[in-house]
Amino acid sequence: MMKIVIGLFLRASVVLAGIALATFALLWNAPGDPALAIALARYDAIVTPDLVDEIREQAGFNAGFWPAFQAWFSPILMGDFGNSSVNGRPVLPDLMSSVSYTFPLGIAALAIGMALSLPLAILSTKRPGGWLDRFAIAVASIGNAIPAYWLGLLLILLFAVQLAWLPAMGARTPSHAILPALTLGLGVAASLTRIIRSGILEARGQNFLPALSRRGVPQNSISKDHIALHAAIPVVTVFGLELAFLLEGLVMVEVIFARPGLGSFLVEAIGARDFPKVQAAVLLTALIFVVVNLLIDLFYKVLDPRIGDHDA
Amino acid sequence: MLRLENVSVKRGKSIALKDVSFKVDAGKTIAVVGESGAGKSTLVASILNLASLASGKISWNDKPVRKISPALVSQEPRAAFNPVMTLKQSVLEPIVGQKKTLLPDRLNRLCKGLELPIDLLDRKPNEVSIGQAQRVGIMRALITSSPLILFDEPLSALDAVTQKHTARLISDLQKEEGFAALVVTHDLGYAAAFADDIIVLKSGCVEEYSSAKEFIQSPKTQYGQDLRNAAFALGALERAS
Amino acid sequence: MTLQVSDLSAIRSGQAILHPTSLSIEPGTRIGLVGSSGSGKSTLGHAIVDALRAQNKRAAHVPQSPDEALDPLRSFKFHWHEAERALDLAHDVSKQRTLFSALKIEDADLRKRPWSWSRGMQQRFVIAMALIGTPDLIVLDEPTSALDPIVAAKTMELLRDHLADKDVAMLLITHDLGLATQHVDRLIVLDKGKVVEDASTHDILVTPKSPAAKSLSTHRSWLSLPC
Repeated sequence: MMKIVIGLFLRASVVLAGIALATFALLWNAPGDPALAIALARYDAIVTPDLVDEIREQAGFNAGFWPAFQAWFSPILMGDFGNSSVNGRPVLPDLMSSVSYTFPLGIAALAIGMALSLPLAILSTKRPGGWLDRFAIAVASIGNAIPAYWLGLLLILLFAVQLAWLPAMGARTPSHAILPALTLGLGVAASLTRIIRSGILEARGQNFLPALSRRGVPQNSISKDHIALHAAIPVVTVFGLELAFLLEGLVMVEVIFARPGLGSFLVEAIGARDFPKVQAAVLLTALIFVVVNLLIDLFYKVLDPRIGDHDA
Repeated sequence: MLRLENVSVKRGKSIALKDVSFKVDAGKTIAVVGESGAGKSTLVASILNLASLASGKISWNDKPVRKISPALVSQEPRAAFNPVMTLKQSVLEPIVGQKKTLLPDRLNRLCKGLELPIDLLDRKPNEVSIGQAQRVGIMRALITSSPLILFDEPLSALDAVTQKHTARLISDLQKEEGFAALVVTHDLGYAAAFADDIIVLKSGCVEEYSSAKEFIQSPKTQYGQDLRNAAFALGALERAS
Repeated sequence: MTLQVSDLSAIRSGQAILHPTSLSIEPGTRIGLVGSSGSGKSTLGHAIVDALRAQNKRAAHVPQSPDEALDPLRSFKFHWHEAERALDLAHDVSKQRTLFSALKIEDADLRKRPWSWSRGMQQRFVIAMALIGTPDLIVLDEPTSALDPIVAAKTMELLRDHLADKDVAMLLITHDLGLATQHVDRLIVLDKGKVVEDASTHDILVTPKSPAAKSLSTHRSWLSLPC
């Protein structure tokens, strides 16, 4: 087991190092002059070529790719994400404060997604093909098809403008998080419902189940102790993908609802060509992604050690 | 003549087959028996050139075996067929390009002998029972007229009566066409009735290699005796009275 | 007390795969249910167990393969406790030990999940589990077909020894008359979903009446096949 855990960690670190290199290379080769962009962002007025050169020197752009990468990456290993190339402030505190907005929103969205999809999926599988099942599939398909930005605007129209029950913009109070969380949560619920539903149906077709009831095991124990466990496997798999969907949705939703957070942080940083900020945000997102998938892998190992035996 | 000389096969660090030698003449049958994991399937794979030999040599009349394209009856009856092709397409696939003047007669005869309705061949693998799929697998191997046919547990999905009819058909065709047969089986009764020689594998090694008659009368090794006693207890063989 | 089931039948996609069948089984008897593939043996085996359970009789069923009896994600221990709970029995260590040593699986690690034991041991565990509540009837559906011969013979021997002094009736479902004759005194021959013969093993071997029984009887042995 220890060997497997270490192996997973090693794999995760290789992935992270690769991501760091890839983002750095992408930004390095992006069209346009980063130094000019920084100068414009910093002074917001006419800039002289001398000023641009000075910035280029300061930011280490002259040194070439590998030294620049090294200069950026080695402090990160110590936890130092460097300073913003626009305002010169350290990146990390800003990043952390944006995460403190985004993280609860993401959790709330996942919670809403699970809270809606689990009962809906269980209800719909009571009678597969019945009206409730078809209704659930229809709702889930519509939910999947609606883009988050459109759903977000609809919710603002209804709950903030028409009914005036909830605030739409900003993040001053917890109630400000309700509409964005709902926007994301409904999307999560839509795809999870379909996956949980098919997971349950597939788990129900397992060939050892008739033997259990013939042994006298009550139906609710079979559902609880056997079907749920088997149904969990595909759901856990998709959870990792769901996270990607969620991170993508967060960027959009934070912009629509004018919330501070990782999404807005990233959008602003890209607009200003603030290299250190962009890279820090991308790296953090990747880290979250890798850690969650690492946990999923570990979870598999506990749930069914046969999974992934061939490549371990 | 199929000849294996000191064949060893490694699987990872462990040894799957060690120093296996035997021969099968044209028209003769050798039965390979032994428990799961003894190396029976590895043996089949190595004859088919699907497992690389650590040492030793496998030949057919001093030439590589692949020159004569041996036929295989797989131990997974359904998985041995392409699921999107009809059984007929699968059966005819190995003989594409050969003369087909006698083909309808041959197909009819095989269907009759294997107790399969001829229109069964128009179905897909998942539309027939596993026992039917297994017999179509046998048909596919027999129709090739290959001089060497490898049968890996060919009767496992058939009931006792059909097993015997099928074994009889294979044996009749063998007498006419003279192919050499290697049969992997766990059924000593089948081996005793239809094989000329029996080879007992245990943990990749040849535990015993003798004529079927000798083996059934008096196995030389303890393991051979255990196997024979198990066959008695399961009713696969009857004690001579 | 004699076990009685009556008018068992089964229909699959509009076709009768089991015509109305009634049977009585004396306590402690060993019965073979034989027939060709597709004759409805397994269906009848399931129907008998379900019918007896509906009468509050204790009937246990051992499927053909351990894969059909055990959840690959649950440990042996879990299965054992679950089986005890299903029969409203308290956990009985000595009973467990008796059954495990009778079937020679006493040294195996119960915390493992099914696939980490050999198939032979899995099958014996399933048989042990079927015997937990000392059933009135145990139905074994082709119990040896998935096992290597030595293990299969050993398993049948252990089971026979364990049942020797008990009132548990046994129904052995098999296509192999050779196997059945080793273990049962009465044979029920099934053909196309109908019981066509029900007689002592000796009578069916010597004077089979139905075509199905005749065919089974003449093809019983590999070494004395009809021409």
